[in-house]
Amino acid sequence: MLARFSRALLVAAGLAGLGGTAMAQSAPPVKIGFSIAKTGLFAAAAPSQLTAYELWRDQVNAKGGLDVGGTKRRIEFVQYDDQSDPSQAVRIYEKLANDDKVDLLLAPWGTPHHFALAGVLERLKFPMVGNSAASSQLRDIKPGYIWFPTSAIPDRMATELATMMKGQGVKTAAVTGVQLPFSIEIRKFLMPALEKAGIKVVVSQEYPPDAKDLTAVLTQVRNAKPDAILSLSYPNDSVGFMTQAKELGVSAPFQFVLVGPTIDFFPKMFGPAADGLITIGHWSPHQKAWPRAKPFFDAYVAKFNARPDYLDTALAYMSCEILEQAVAKSGLDREKLRAAIAGGTFDTINGPVKFDGVQNAITPTAFLQIQKGEFHLVWPKTVATSDFQPRK
Amino acid sequence: MSSLLSGQLLFAALATGGLYALVAFGLNLIYGTLRLLNVAHGEIVMLGAYAAYWAMTMMGGAPLFALPLAALLLGAFGFALYGGLFRLALSRPALMKRIEGNSLLLFFGVSIILQNAVSLVFSASPRANKADDALIAFADIQTSQSRLMAVAITFLVCLSLAIALKTSWAGRAVRAMIQNRDAAAIVGIPLDRLQAWSFAIGFAVAGLAGALVSLFEQISPFMGFPYTVAAFVVIILGGLGNLAGSLAAGLLLGVVETFGVAATSANWRSILVWGIFILVMLLKPQGLFGGSRR
Repeated sequence: MLARFSRALLVAAGLAGLGGTAMAQSAPPVKIGFSIAKTGLFAAAAPSQLTAYELWRDQVNAKGGLDVGGTKRRIEFVQYDDQSDPSQAVRIYEKLANDDKVDLLLAPWGTPHHFALAGVLERLKFPMVGNSAASSQLRDIKPGYIWFPTSAIPDRMATELATMMKGQGVKTAAVTGVQLPFSIEIRKFLMPALEKAGIKVVVSQEYPPDAKDLTAVLTQVRNAKPDAILSLSYPNDSVGFMTQAKELGVSAPFQFVLVGPTIDFFPKMFGPAADGLITIGHWSPHQKAWPRAKPFFDAYVAKFNARPDYLDTALAYMSCEILEQAVAKSGLDREKLRAAIAGGTFDTINGPVKFDGVQNAITPTAFLQIQKGEFHLVWPKTVATSDFQPRK
Repeated sequence: MSSLLSGQLLFAALATGGLYALVAFGLNLIYGTLRLLNVAHGEIVMLGAYAAYWAMTMMGGAPLFALPLAALLLGAFGFALYGGLFRLALSRPALMKRIEGNSLLLFFGVSIILQNAVSLVFSASPRANKADDALIAFADIQTSQSRLMAVAITFLVCLSLAIALKTSWAGRAVRAMIQNRDAAAIVGIPLDRLQAWSFAIGFAVAGLAGALVSLFEQISPFMGFPYTVAAFVVIILGGLGNLAGSLAAGLLLGVVETFGVAATSANWRSILVWGIFILVMLLKPQGLFGGSRR
């Protein structure tokens, strides 16, 4: 019964996607398909990606439509809920290609979904620019029909973070973290990188995702008085870490929080207490060398009355920009499109992007710092929009 | 090991355990009086959190206004849900038998509807109330004003509930009903009215718990499930239908979690909690404080 119910929902969601943009135009609309986690584990995270898609679609349609090798055609989304389940996403993308006959694809949310789709795209010979996936394993994917614009890949992040810390004179560090894939992978690379940089790890603690009270862990950190505190946390426990660290008076000049600070609610929740936090991210609206960055930020805030997620929303929007520029050159022929994405250099909100295999070869692995409520790139120097400021 | 004696840990244990007790109380009250297993209980906590978010961040109200408001709104919701969905069914024994058997599925449906309704109204993106209140320190304990207030409110509510159950007429009537519904009806206890109030109070307490959670954590339409699980663990530890028992078991769980992690490491948290749970199931299946109910 549940299966039938969810199938009915799926159909309804698809109809809603089609109905919303049915407009009579001379050229037929371009159908762009994707699955999105509306329910399940990733449901709270996926809106950061969907909002980027919606903003891009509305902007392109306001300009008269997507430039398909010279002809302007309106964008129409075909979207389904994948219930945060990668195997469901696989079925949906096959349906998008075979039954819905969409012209283009956008990515679903999350690393497991991207991995699950790589083989399907290869088989369908359907190119897709990914976005919200980050793992050193993505380099193991056969290059061809999927690309990853992110530069926040755990092994590089670990070495860059250790180098940055060393440059700030950090001698001791406490590393706490949740037992979830991304933080475990980063820890794996971070521990040897810290050792190599001559930084002593004085506290190393991991906790399960359902841990509510971190008092015992944080008391240890406080007693060790480290120069740096690295919290390898996800949004839920990032908040727990922040509130409880504040209550217990746990702080260090260098404080890193993995996932969470870039989400709209986070700086609002903590106000000045979030100042000085370092987090992952390679995009900031303050970078003047990227002329598309600030207009995107302003348009997003105007449309959604919230700030974009500096990591996921920026990446999702970049994947749309890359697709848009490639299609303008190649049209909808899949092989030509594949060649255009694989060989082109794209002008994005994050500056120029060019792919080497599946990876972004230009954007450097970078870190953001919250300074007076604003997100500034502070590492590396080549893209920095502000200097690192020790946390008070 | 000397750090195990710190007041800070005791305070943390009370804060965590008190919240568990609060969440579990409502679940146990509704199970005890109506024999309905409300798997949507975590969603009631979630609704309470959103009510507080609405009152505080969107309307600019103070926590002391938002907390009772959340409890009141959810209490009214419980009243309405009972009146709209369960009163009719409960008055017909045949239908009631079916609902008792299917209460899991029924509430599962309610839980999905609530998640998606909140997702539609507030969007699925996580939200949070401001957490920038002043810090305070006493003895060797350091905490924030709102945390201290939350702990005080939790204990005040738990204590009043325990006293009311023990001494008031309604409390005794509820306990009588939990022991034996039919006998309670024969001696003139108005089952329908008490059941409606059980729903209202159970939901109100869960709503209050959610409002308290919203002071310290991010909230999202999908945050409820872990609270449902925690509440089930607590009421099974304390004894199904044993209300005072579940208050005590909630506190116990908080102590196990906080001190257990301090004595071992954070990796052990789930092993400790579930280990104790299984141990109690094996040695005392009626719950730590479960007397002979039947």
